[in-house]
Amino acid sequence: MTTHERIPVMEGLFAETAEGPRLLGSRCQTCSTPYFPRSAVCHNPDCGESRMENADFGPRGRLWSCAIQNYPPPLPARYEEPYIPYAVGVVDLDEGLRVVARMSVDDPDSLELDAEVELTIEPIYRDDEGRDVTTWKFKPLQPGRS
Amino acid sequence: MRDVAVLGAGMHPWGKFADRSVTAMCRVATEAALADAGVAWRDVEAVAAASSRFSGGKGWGLNGNDVVEEMGSTGIPVYNLSAGCAAGGNAFNIGWLLVASGAHDCVLVVGGEKMPKGFIQTSGLEEDTDPEHLRQLCVGMPGPTFWAALCRRRMKDFGTSEEDLARIAVKAHRIGKHNTNARFRQEFTMEDVLGSAMVSYPLHLYEICPVSDGAAAVVICSADVARKRTTRPVWAASSSVATARFDDGLPRGLGTVVPQAGPTCHSEASLAVGKALESAAVAPTELDLVELQDNTVFYELAFPEDWGLCQPGEAERLVEKGETLPTGKLPINPSGGFLCFGEATTAMGVFQICELTWQLREQAGARQVPGAKIALAQTLGLGGNATAAVLKN
Repeated sequence: MTTHERIPVMEGLFAETAEGPRLLGSRCQTCSTPYFPRSAVCHNPDCGESRMENADFGPRGRLWSCAIQNYPPPLPARYEEPYIPYAVGVVDLDEGLRVVARMSVDDPDSLELDAEVELTIEPIYRDDEGRDVTTWKFKPLQPGRS
Repeated sequence: MRDVAVLGAGMHPWGKFADRSVTAMCRVATEAALADAGVAWRDVEAVAAASSRFSGGKGWGLNGNDVVEEMGSTGIPVYNLSAGCAAGGNAFNIGWLLVASGAHDCVLVVGGEKMPKGFIQTSGLEEDTDPEHLRQLCVGMPGPTFWAALCRRRMKDFGTSEEDLARIAVKAHRIGKHNTNARFRQEFTMEDVLGSAMVSYPLHLYEICPVSDGAAAVVICSADVARKRTTRPVWAASSSVATARFDDGLPRGLGTVVPQAGPTCHSEASLAVGKALESAAVAPTELDLVELQDNTVFYELAFPEDWGLCQPGEAERLVEKGETLPTGKLPINPSGGFLCFGEATTAMGVFQICELTWQLREQAGARQVPGAKIALAQTLGLGGNATAAVLKN
């Protein structure tokens, strides 16, 4: 079986760290507001002074809501042919950050709201040069692992 | 601030018009509004126009300039307003301010749009710094899927069923079939709606608005001008614009903060409606009808609750009892709404003012809200934009 090279759909948004997959964001040291993607300044109108530092987010969160992309999405979204509907989620991370993401599930209908989920980095399509293009996804936590 | 009246309203029917330019459609709407107002083009002192996203405007959103050139360049000031799908409402707000402030006595507000085929591609940019572009590139969550996610949360919180959602589309078409300006004028059964293609679970094709071409215009004026032209003016008691709050928790880009308290919905819409009601000195329960932005049936459930028109979790039962029909306690979208018209994005804010005007004049025929005296219009647009207006007779 051939192993294909993996490239991120976009640089600087997520990484595999020694502790596992993480989203790359920032946090304001003054008001603790989390940001994803990284932000050079704090946008909280009630924050007195923007003091930003890089912060990694994940892997644990709770599925606030989800939906199924039943039809092939328009560009710039990409997918493998033939199109298979995928699930997207809105996930509240333990760090107070709400993010949108693809969901990693075999059956999109099986997702339950408020379920504990975990960050993973997985391919969404193979590009013209045969590389697997990856993005961040969340998958329901396996029983017994919480 | 001076009193502002809506003196004339005009519309080009909604549909697909391959051989007609957006400017030609705006001309039809403008001429109808001028004729309705009994005002000549020469009497218009300024134009506030929605900047079209997809057509005309010399590629710069200069659609107001196109309309002025089309009608005859008289040298008047033109304001082109861009606010995503709230642009028509934004143009109405600027026109309203021009009259209310005393700067002008007679202003044309116009919005027209010709939409490309298919679902709206929300972002106009292919830049890696554009949050909407990133969201579609990295996740792939177009508008209907975003609406579906909001809807799923409501289903969990309030037990909303697929039938509750379908009932709203059935209601829309029961009314909209009477509107000669509407594009989709057939009735749907529950089976039709629930049997239409699943776009993004739980939303079916007939539960989201399609895209259309359309144009609408209104002539607004000072009280002095209005009293010379009509004995029964419709008053624009208030007009407001708002943008989203930082902490409302609505997942617009890739990430936001988890809100501390309260339900997650469009803070910009709640703020705009709240301001419009407050400055018109109208309580939510006093409204006789509402034209709200029903891109999806979900908003007909969420918005009335967000704005205090009914209690949280009550909207489904109001729909079920027929209370959102023109003859009910809380008539919503008696025009047929976006579901029956299709969204001609930047024209919709002006389309709503036309419907409110006709309702308050009791000219709405079979979709008339009996004895309508106070009415609310609301739009929503990309960038966290929203507008609202209260009209009275």
